Amino acid sequence: MSNQLQNVIKQQQEQTNNLTTDSKDEDIIQLVGFIVGNEEFAVPILSIQEIIKPIEWTKVPFTEDFVLGVFNLRGNVLPLIDLRKKFGASQADFDDDVRFIVIKIDDELAGFVIDRLTEALRIESSSILPPPDTSMDREAIIEGIARKDDRIITILKMNSLLKTKNG
Amino acid sequence: MDEMQEIMEDFLVEAFEMIEQLDQDLVELESNPDDLELLNKIFRVAHTIKGSGSFLNLDILTRLTHHMEDVLNKARKSELKITPDIMDVILESVDMMKALLENIRDTGSDVTDDIDIEPVVVKLDAISNGKNLSEVSNTSSEPQVEEKEVEVAQQVEEDELTEEDYANMSPEDLEAEIERLLQQRQEEDRKKREAKKKQQNNEQNSEPKKEEKPKENKETNTPAPVQQPKSNKKEDKKAVPAKKLSTVEQTIRVDVNRLDNLMNLIGELVLSKNRLIKIYNDVEERYEGEHFLDELNQVVSSISIVTTDLQIAVMKTRMLQIGKVFNKFPRVIRDLSRELGKKVNLIIKGEETELDKSIIEEIGDPLMHMIRNSVDHGIEPPEERIALGKPETGTVELKAYNEGNQIVIEIADDGKGMDPDILKSKALEKGIISEKEADMMSDKEAFMLIFKAGFSTAAKVTNVSGRGVGMDVVKTNVEKLNGLIEVDSTAGNGSVFKIKIPLTLAIIQALLVAAQEELFAVPLANVIETVRITVEDISAVEGKSVLKLRDEVLPLVNMSDIFKIEKILGVNQYLYVVVLGVGASKVGLIVDGLIGQEEIVIKSLGEYLKGIKGIAGATIRGDGKVTLIVDVAALMQLAKETHANSVISTTVETKKKKEKPEDYVILIVDDSNTDRKIMKKSIEPLGFTIKEATNGEEALSIIKNDTDIDAALVDIEMPKMDGYTLAQEIRKYNRFKNLPLIAVTSRTTKSDRVRGVEVGMNEYITKPYTPEYLTNVLKRNLKLS
Repeated sequence: MSNQLQNVIKQQQEQTNNLTTDSKDEDIIQLVGFIVGNEEFAVPILSIQEIIKPIEWTKVPFTEDFVLGVFNLRGNVLPLIDLRKKFGASQADFDDDVRFIVIKIDDELAGFVIDRLTEALRIESSSILPPPDTSMDREAIIEGIARKDDRIITILKMNSLLKTKNG
Repeated sequence: MDEMQEIMEDFLVEAFEMIEQLDQDLVELESNPDDLELLNKIFRVAHTIKGSGSFLNLDILTRLTHHMEDVLNKARKSELKITPDIMDVILESVDMMKALLENIRDTGSDVTDDIDIEPVVVKLDAISNGKNLSEVSNTSSEPQVEEKEVEVAQQVEEDELTEEDYANMSPEDLEAEIERLLQQRQEEDRKKREAKKKQQNNEQNSEPKKEEKPKENKETNTPAPVQQPKSNKKEDKKAVPAKKLSTVEQTIRVDVNRLDNLMNLIGELVLSKNRLIKIYNDVEERYEGEHFLDELNQVVSSISIVTTDLQIAVMKTRMLQIGKVFNKFPRVIRDLSRELGKKVNLIIKGEETELDKSIIEEIGDPLMHMIRNSVDHGIEPPEERIALGKPETGTVELKAYNEGNQIVIEIADDGKGMDPDILKSKALEKGIISEKEADMMSDKEAFMLIFKAGFSTAAKVTNVSGRGVGMDVVKTNVEKLNGLIEVDSTAGNGSVFKIKIPLTLAIIQALLVAAQEELFAVPLANVIETVRITVEDISAVEGKSVLKLRDEVLPLVNMSDIFKIEKILGVNQYLYVVVLGVGASKVGLIVDGLIGQEEIVIKSLGEYLKGIKGIAGATIRGDGKVTLIVDVAALMQLAKETHANSVISTTVETKKKKEKPEDYVILIVDDSNTDRKIMKKSIEPLGFTIKEATNGEEALSIIKNDTDIDAALVDIEMPKMDGYTLAQEIRKYNRFKNLPLIAVTSRTTKSDRVRGVEVGMNEYITKPYTPEYLTNVLKRNLKLS
């Protein structure tokens, strides 16, 4: 049963991966938008396991400063990464809008701290531009840039978010 | 295809199980060559593997086992006496069989370039055809043959006909033979049926007359005396596997992943149980004496008992007898002693001791290495032993037993033992230790030197050991299992190695300690003791802080320094030291608090955070928070690196002295603007700096982020978070343990006051109050005159 479920999830995930990379079959991709610092970012909706309000976490020594630590999600110990620190956004406090987005990356779950959610987005894949050449450093974690109305939304490459290993 | 795969897997599982037993049986057989039961057992293994192998088209395996079967069959019929030389060949073929099976397991086929069975097959053929060694074996076994002749004569004849001549038969003859055998079988079956019928009839008829039954049975059993040996034999052969079958039916093979999953779920349950108990304790405090508490108590304790039982039960399903590992050692000792020309007797005790499967899988290699080491370095050659007045045959004793929550595996030899001074000078020579270290070293620590990388005491490098790799790997492997190694040795009398490992890897006992505000779990197996000391107890040796504890001098390291945790707590009069031990080395770890002992479930930190120095994993505690588990071996390494810093420097620079009211910051927490103003008016004239919060949540965040607050005046009735909860939350932090909290409220009942004290309020002032009273209370709590 759980195997079946896993298969279904996997298929879905593959689909989303396909969605974000090639756009032959589907023109619309679904994303969840959120704010970190002053910028709006988005990740594929199907890679999101859940979104929770901030809960307590435990610090882990010898990690980079954007790794806040680990937290307990129903019996699983997940790393918690502060995207605000990772992206060098100004450090705001945890106000009422802050959320943890729990994302599944290569079968591993991880939590990411964001300033606030915006909305679920449906974006035509044809309107997504490749990452600009200037964003050298960030290029690795950016899938593309999307425009919606007047907003510019950076779509994040999920599996690169956890790539920068600590030493 | 899948079916075939399944059969193949079953075959492999069965084959490996049989082979495991086989090694031990073979060694036993060598010392007891006439044991027919053993021979039969061994023969059956070869036979079964041959049979299944041919069905699975494993030609090479079939060919090998076929020849083994020939030799064993001869031995079984006493035509061949097993000599050590023949045994060598048989053992060689068993090894080859193992190699082939492993190859099949890995690649699915027995075709490989690495294994050439031909030389062995030739040797086996030679033995079974009676060449070379045949004369010796024939003469020596002659008297036995005679003895048994009466019994087995006919059987041998028949067997020879039925089993050995097939190869030479023409197809026609073969068919005729099959026909004959079939008829024979049918005849037997018929007889059996008749006998059975008779017996049934008898049983029906003779139920009241018990005496008749055995008689009748006797009759039915002996219808044809001539054939008895044969049929008996056949029945015997069948009976044994049949018996086995019936025991097999008592067990189910389960995929290990399923058990792992089950174990994880139990882990969750244990955590929930801990949580439930914690909640119950809170509820008990609050509603003491209420009727429903009894009922709740019953439920909580029964859940807790069942969970513990369940945990043990599931742990047991993963348990295997250590005999599974021990089984292969008689063979190892035998080969080694032959190779090295030593005489060694292996005594195995406690093979029924059970250990978690994952540990069983990991412990084999280290044990193997230590046993080799004992035989190679420990046991002297026979001449030397005789010269020393020791028995010619050396003894290696392998023992396993339970000791508390641990399993101890002991490897003891009566060989030459180790001389701590020689070990020290060797280590000095190789630059592993400094002269100073050598002087300080106790004998036990000196013995532990053999586990250092690059250390080898063997004068010459043998095939067996002494390449300088190995013992250090043994130690690492044992430590990976959260285990310890202890060594004791007397020069001339032998050495004892003790490996202590936990029963299971998933759930351990841990000591919870606090480094500043953060909690860590230290596996209890590595905690030797905890002591409370004062700063004066710390002495300095070369600028490094040490603790003199009884006769020992322990290096002292502050846990917060190791993990680079920011120091926010003031220094207490007392320090807590956790004495950690891995092997012979010890370190005193200064912590800011001892929380207690708890059973914890080990969880991995996941791919992303794995491999952090000093952290072995994490656990989730009763309150749902994550606590990191310390990797003691790595922590001690870190501690040694950190030890350079003096402990005295770990104390926070004492806060600047506060004498006048102007130096103090007071937080006023009240949702009513008027009340805040009244309080402010009462105390402001004294010169305090005043901050305000309108509810508990706001106050908490101010206190947490602004450590300058010196006292708080707290209203009870507030939105979002009331005063009780606020006090509770504040007291959760070590650094706010002594922060004066003064309740200022219109709640005047006695139970309100009691509640206030319970949650950690220092004072309880009821409205209305006079400004003088308030300032006096405040001054008293700030120790202002």
